Amino acid sequence: GSTPPAATEPKVTIPECFSHLSIAKKSAMTNADKDVHPTVLVLGQQMATFAIDESITRLKATLLAFKKVIDSYNTPPGNTLARHLTPHVLNPQIDYLTACRPMCFSMGNAIRWLKLQVSKIDPDVPEQEAKKQLCDSIDSFIQERISVADFVITEKAARRIVNGDTILVFGRSTLVERTLLHAHSAGTRFSVIVIDDPYEKKGQVLSKTLAAEGISVSYCGDFGGLRWHVQRASMVLLCAESMFSNGSMYGRSGSCDLAIAAKALEIPVTVLCETINITDRVATDSLTYNEIDPERCSAASFRLLFDATLAKYLSVVITELGSVQPTSVPDILRKLEESN
Amino acid sequence: MAPPKGGFAPSLEKFLDTLKSRPVEASVELLISLLKRHQIRGSEPCAIATAHILLQVVAKDKWNDVDQLLGRVQLIGRKLVAAQPRELVIANIVRRVLGLIRDEAEEDRNDNNDGQSDVASEIPPPVTSVAGGTDSPSKPMRPPVLGNLGNFARTQSMFNLLSDPDTAPVVWSNGSTPRLGSGASTPLAHPQSTNLYSFRSEVIDGIEEIMDEIKQVDEQIQAYSEITIHPGDYILVHQPSRTVQKFLTRAASKRRFTVFLTVDPSASLASEDPYASFRKSMASGGATVVTVLNAGLNAYMSRVNKVILGARAITGKGGVIVDAGAATIARAAQEQGRTVIVLGGVYTLSPESQFQEALIEWGDPSKYVNFADGSMVSQVKVKSAVSEFMPGDHVDTYITNLGAHTRDHLHTLIMDHYKEEDIAFDFYGKMQR
Repeated sequence: GSTPPAATEPKVTIPECFSHLSIAKKSAMTNADKDVHPTVLVLGQQMATFAIDESITRLKATLLAFKKVIDSYNTPPGNTLARHLTPHVLNPQIDYLTACRPMCFSMGNAIRWLKLQVSKIDPDVPEQEAKKQLCDSIDSFIQERISVADFVITEKAARRIVNGDTILVFGRSTLVERTLLHAHSAGTRFSVIVIDDPYEKKGQVLSKTLAAEGISVSYCGDFGGLRWHVQRASMVLLCAESMFSNGSMYGRSGSCDLAIAAKALEIPVTVLCETINITDRVATDSLTYNEIDPERCSAASFRLLFDATLAKYLSVVITELGSVQPTSVPDILRKLEESN
Repeated sequence: MAPPKGGFAPSLEKFLDTLKSRPVEASVELLISLLKRHQIRGSEPCAIATAHILLQVVAKDKWNDVDQLLGRVQLIGRKLVAAQPRELVIANIVRRVLGLIRDEAEEDRNDNNDGQSDVASEIPPPVTSVAGGTDSPSKPMRPPVLGNLGNFARTQSMFNLLSDPDTAPVVWSNGSTPRLGSGASTPLAHPQSTNLYSFRSEVIDGIEEIMDEIKQVDEQIQAYSEITIHPGDYILVHQPSRTVQKFLTRAASKRRFTVFLTVDPSASLASEDPYASFRKSMASGGATVVTVLNAGLNAYMSRVNKVILGARAITGKGGVIVDAGAATIARAAQEQGRTVIVLGGVYTLSPESQFQEALIEWGDPSKYVNFADGSMVSQVKVKSAVSEFMPGDHVDTYITNLGAHTRDHLHTLIMDHYKEEDIAFDFYGKMQR
């Protein structure tokens, strides 16, 4: 008998001029390497479908999954953990995750750190002990670079909001949402303008969350009349996906247009970014590093997920290690290298 | 107002069909309601509708002299502008027609003066009553001939002897004509029916010429597409109007280039693709169309050579009324030194001086937010822009049916197409804008 034809995916067509950019591929779990851990398999699918989307959330989920991988790892006889774990166990996981969706800069940074920790393990330490050491250092890494970092950044940013302010934000990002809620619960009275990406509409979720807390919110679903909205703001608050070492911000596509509008009206643009998101790479335009929306790359549609905002449009970058001029981002990188 | 027969939604076509069968007043009222309800919208339909209604006024209305006609056109112009103040083309067309009437009247008067056929033509129009005592006439008045001054009083009284209210010379009916502070006017020297008849048909011809001009705009602007678009270009267009689509299609028949097309996000979900025929004709030429589903277009600018935008209206200082979202795109282009080209007919060029730059037309908030979404609707102020103002410094070139212009040249175009007294005329009054 004939089998019913499988539902065909719309053909992926990418215009020649964007063919150098990365894109998340829907790869079936069955195609994965046999060594890929079940937790990582699931995580990969969540990333491919953008159920887990923000840089810092992806990072945290990856590290927690890797803890499970390490936990269930047994060194084969005749090998040492320090030399065997990375090439034979971690790399297949990483390859699979990258195949699901291109790694974000924070994941790259953290994986480099993790591999360094693995290589540092003393061959004489018993395996159980070594695994515990690794898991503990992952825990403290998450604690230090993500949890505490987020707390410190929201604290600092919330303190920059004063009574009577109007804060303009773009879409929804966890850090910005937490900052606004934090400032509100600290008793600051301010209003919020949410500008949204009409193709994502995540700003509506943020609007409702804020409004439910009693914050005065106005919402605009696209960039129509953008200048009019920006004019009414006292500060633009953005969350960076990553910061490049030349002070450019890698953010949700559209962030740059907001920053340009704000700069023209001399309204300060504040960027929130955990230091783990800082990369030593440089971007002077949005087409050097970017990602194509896998949902929208047919013949009929195309969408870039990110853009790069040059340092000249940004006022200050708030990290857990300090608030700096965007051009001073390399100094923070240097600080991090010294502390490691 | 009874809906048009057939029960379909009213449109420009339906409106034009019913024009002939209706009295002028009824047509004016109908047009006002159509404009208010956005059932006639967009520069070209509004311009065409305005021209048609004024043609009806000239052809069917009762008026005995030029001033009455001018007053009538101004009055109806005000009503139409009040119905839809955001469509600047309405006032543009009214001003064009006013200028046309003045020109025809001026011509007739000169003809009469050359002929020296009549005593009445020797008499200078009473400046004070015509000009309302404040505005100075645009053209210097013919100085009165000295010899006539002595006869003036007697001439006047003799006229009165023979005068009949219906055939009284224009000059004397001026005082009683209701006027709207129209500025200087050029009264007809010869109010006789034959003259009025030819005058009327001259004006009607003129209005028809304006309509033809409006209809030919796309065709004429197209002619510049090959000069503008080069092989291998990346062109960014935002919700392209028919003018922009035709411009690109013409270029595609000669050149291979790529178009980044941004669409109305709310329409991108609809099953019907508004640009289907555009895509088809682009593909049949050598052009590639990439539909970009991004709101901020700055990411693409390092790739783009030119941004081409359609104007809803162009102001004398170079600012442009564009579809919402276009100003941000032009801004991004300007930041990266990309060329921004605005396409629009000369009839969209507005001499309006009291135009507010902050003018944004806000539209249906349910565009992105569902009314069923209770917490959004009840707690969040939702704004959605339809059109916005783009400052002139974002634009490099304006292409009209008369060619390519710089911002500084627009003023000259305005002076060529409108008369000063009509530019000065306030269509808005004390209207809240």
